Amino acid sequence: MIRDLFVFRGRTSVRAEVTLGVLSAVLILLFWEAVARAEFVAPQFLPSPTKVLVALWTMTTSQHLLWHAGISTLRVWVAFLIAAAMAVPIGILMSSYRIIGASLEPMIDFIRYLPVPALVPLSIIWFGVGEETKIFLLWLGTFFQLVLLVADDMRRVPHEYVEIAFTLGAKPRQVLSDVALRSMGPSLVDNLRITLGWCWTYLVIAEIVAADSGLGFVIWSARRYVKTPEVMAGVVVIGVIGLLTDQILRMLHRRYFRYV
Amino acid sequence: MADYLTFDRVTKVFGNVPVVSESSFSIARNSLVVFLGPSGCGKTTLMRMVGGLEKPTAGTISLSGEAVAGPDRRRGMVFQSYSSFPWLTVEGNIEFGMRYRNDLSPSQRTERVVHYLKLIGLEDFSQSFPNRISGGMRQRVAIARSLAAGSDVLLMDEPFGALDALTRERLQVELRQIQAEETKTVIFVTHDVEEAVFLADRIILFSSRPARVLKDIDVAAVLGAARTLAVRESQEFFKLRNDVLHLVRHEVDVSR
Repeated sequence: MIRDLFVFRGRTSVRAEVTLGVLSAVLILLFWEAVARAEFVAPQFLPSPTKVLVALWTMTTSQHLLWHAGISTLRVWVAFLIAAAMAVPIGILMSSYRIIGASLEPMIDFIRYLPVPALVPLSIIWFGVGEETKIFLLWLGTFFQLVLLVADDMRRVPHEYVEIAFTLGAKPRQVLSDVALRSMGPSLVDNLRITLGWCWTYLVIAEIVAADSGLGFVIWSARRYVKTPEVMAGVVVIGVIGLLTDQILRMLHRRYFRYV
Repeated sequence: MADYLTFDRVTKVFGNVPVVSESSFSIARNSLVVFLGPSGCGKTTLMRMVGGLEKPTAGTISLSGEAVAGPDRRRGMVFQSYSSFPWLTVEGNIEFGMRYRNDLSPSQRTERVVHYLKLIGLEDFSQSFPNRISGGMRQRVAIARSLAAGSDVLLMDEPFGALDALTRERLQVELRQIQAEETKTVIFVTHDVEEAVFLADRIILFSSRPARVLKDIDVAAVLGAARTLAVRESQEFFKLRNDVLHLVRHEVDVSR
């Protein structure tokens, strides 16, 4: 039984995998709890998981944690949708017409490598410290990555599909909508899901630098008073939101792209 | 009749590499013609020009007297891989090309789908996605999709190349039946001599690149129109296959 789990490149059942995943998470939490309670490390550096849970509760009941989480989620989605609405058509055009791809690619490749934090000062000069700065920074971090991913998805549509459609009487626009978009669908949605995750990274940076609301702000103000449990609680909330969103999108992916 | 599909001094050059050189011949309506030649000789390029997917550098290809200018539904392609759309069911695939025709009523479309599903014997798989059916079935779907869209000429680019020997043999027999029943013209590209002889009414044998017509072989005159598996075991078949094989071998050796 136990030996079965240690077969090189072997298979396990779904149940065994779920059990193992939960078990190791619980073990780590227990270990953490024990270390924290024994006070090997000062509590302001390593509060126990139960303290983090308590902080999570008080923050929810008396410090508007859910409102902050809502604000952050809204910022992420607004910026992500703007980035996606621009990146999908531009990416598709880049791989459909060489002239567009050749003109845009070098520039996008350059901007893609600029670290977002390096552009924070510029962004504040341009947009001040309001919502625009946060949306801009998130957009900056995702658009240029996403547009190249979309271009790649489009490029990988088998040319056979395009030629089949043409010899069935389709016009270029119909080939685009009826064949190319359908063919790239699964990988496009995957890339959108991954990019949405990146948005959260840039969100925290943006909210730490310039915000009076949102989870990044919560984490950063808790730090000021060395309320380590609250800092950790904020991080946990981001993790949970990320995990949930990811699972929902995966579920939709499985449902709509059953044929993959 | 012989002037249905004509090739008039068709030449193709990619960059400065000549691929097809001054080929002239014509193909009769309702016949199955195999383009045979060494790998990479240019026969596929020639067929793609019939489909309007490539333009001849010089010369013209015309169908019923009308020069081919670009792809349209009268000349449908069947490829070896990526032949059916994975996001559509078998039924959806067969119906696909008809969405670009406005001369068919919804009930006519349904009728045609049913007809072609039956023709390829996949009635029970109409709701299956291509990843759930075998490679042979996927090739049948591709054939039915072209026919349903209204192709008069089927252009097949080594369509059975990736199938196992038995499935392949079965599809060859079926293709002959479908071609006869539906009275379509088929151009079939292959480098497999046995397949060529078994399928063809006529084999056009091409030289190594750049392709030019090496020999025009009237297979129907030797083997007749009906091609059952018994034909495959006949003396005439073996003799013709060997003759053609020698011609191809010789061509490969000469071009080395």
